[in-house]
Amino acid sequence: MNEVSIFEKIYDMTALGALIDQPQFLIMYALAFLLLYLGIKKGYEPLLLIPIAFGVLIANFPGGDMGVVSPDGQGMVPVNGEMKNIYEMSLPEIAHDLGIMNFLYYALIKSGLLPPIIFMGVGALTDFGPMLRNLKLAIFGAGAQFGIFAVLLVACNFFDMKEAASLAIIGGADGPTAIFTTIKLAPHMLGPIAIAAYSYMALVPVIVPLVVKLTCSKKELMINMKEQDKLYPSKTEFKNMSALKIIFPIATTTVVAIIVPSAVPLVGMLMFGNLIKEVGSSTSRIFDAASNAIMNSATIFLGLCVGATMTVDAFLNWQTIGIVAGGFLAFGFSIFGGIMLAKIYNLFSKKKVNPLIGATGLSAVPMASRVANDIALKYDPRNHVLNYCMSSNVSGVIGSAVAAGILIAFLG
Amino acid sequence: MEGNFFEALKLLGVGLSTVFVVLLLIIAFGNLLIKAVNRFAPEEEKPVKAVADNTPLAIEPGVQQAIDLAVQQLTGGKGRAVKIQRL
Repeated sequence: MNEVSIFEKIYDMTALGALIDQPQFLIMYALAFLLLYLGIKKGYEPLLLIPIAFGVLIANFPGGDMGVVSPDGQGMVPVNGEMKNIYEMSLPEIAHDLGIMNFLYYALIKSGLLPPIIFMGVGALTDFGPMLRNLKLAIFGAGAQFGIFAVLLVACNFFDMKEAASLAIIGGADGPTAIFTTIKLAPHMLGPIAIAAYSYMALVPVIVPLVVKLTCSKKELMINMKEQDKLYPSKTEFKNMSALKIIFPIATTTVVAIIVPSAVPLVGMLMFGNLIKEVGSSTSRIFDAASNAIMNSATIFLGLCVGATMTVDAFLNWQTIGIVAGGFLAFGFSIFGGIMLAKIYNLFSKKKVNPLIGATGLSAVPMASRVANDIALKYDPRNHVLNYCMSSNVSGVIGSAVAAGILIAFLG
Repeated sequence: MEGNFFEALKLLGVGLSTVFVVLLLIIAFGNLLIKAVNRFAPEEEKPVKAVADNTPLAIEPGVQQAIDLAVQQLTGGKGRAVKIQRL
């Protein structure tokens, strides 16, 4: 072997040739670096943005075999020069022919396994106490799903119905719900939708104040919930909150399962996670596993696999720009929907509700509530609305999971 | 596309109504649960434990004087009793 052919072989071994042929890869690296910066330095949803960003990075090195392949409508993918139906391939075959990231993606994500697992962990970390204490406020979790269906109306003019629904679910402000819906309806859009969903969730401290400023008056934002409670005290008393917290997840799962069975993978796992938390010391070991080891492992693989779906071909297109724009609209409309419902409620009720409680009807727990509380305190330093916001915020998690179930049932 | 729009409109109506119905049902069931738990499983009131009273007791002047003298004698006049408490 002469010197030239050795250098040629070394050059072929590297990714340099492919990078020169397809400089679009550099855009993906820039995107990965930007997301890593936002996650590490700015602290925007670091637990998910960092794995997603690193997934984007490693998926876009030509020859690395870490990018998730996008099958065509018939499920055909190129494997060693011939077309194969990926849904007829076994997992070991996928691992061998397409690399371990495709194995992880098809075993954990495409199967729909990880989002419900993460929901179990979310349930284990959620306290339904504030919602039970202010049960009426839970209805605002429904108003804040308006953005999902409103954006569906717009997006269906540019995307097919399944794609439009996957885009619209970003308005639920719930990452695992958005991923679960997209896996079921439009898996080829998973990468950009997950990125948009988590980016907007990280931007809750910017988006919520913006929509609130555009839609609420100072007088409305100064409605003091504790004073309203004193003026119109609740007749409900709680004689055994711990028993109530144990029965509540069981009852909620049953109600949701009967009305919207397709939402059970999400709501059921959310409530199961919550149940093992509330039972107490006898289930503390599985509660610990659900809220720590399992959830953390699931988060790592979810983030990496979602990032790995964002290959040059799958990401750099007009569809992605549509998703980013549509996702923002969905998010904004959801906050708007919650606020409007609070305003309508105030028209008919003596006991007024601060519209911020409507604004937190989208998921994004607990960041949305914290942001709303900060806004309320800015207008009245004695007006602590956090506990009230948590009620609509937590019910928003259930609301968005139900909305996802409806979309999957109708379009899946 | 027009068909899509009407399907989306239908989903807006059906979807939002269903979310409202589900959350209203959860609120209704929640209220029922609160009443049922209050009625059938109220938490037993825990007996309040008697807390040891650590407040200093009033000491008779004669006793205090005797203690002060004893402390002075023991410490060669360097020490003094700051707090006297019955155990």
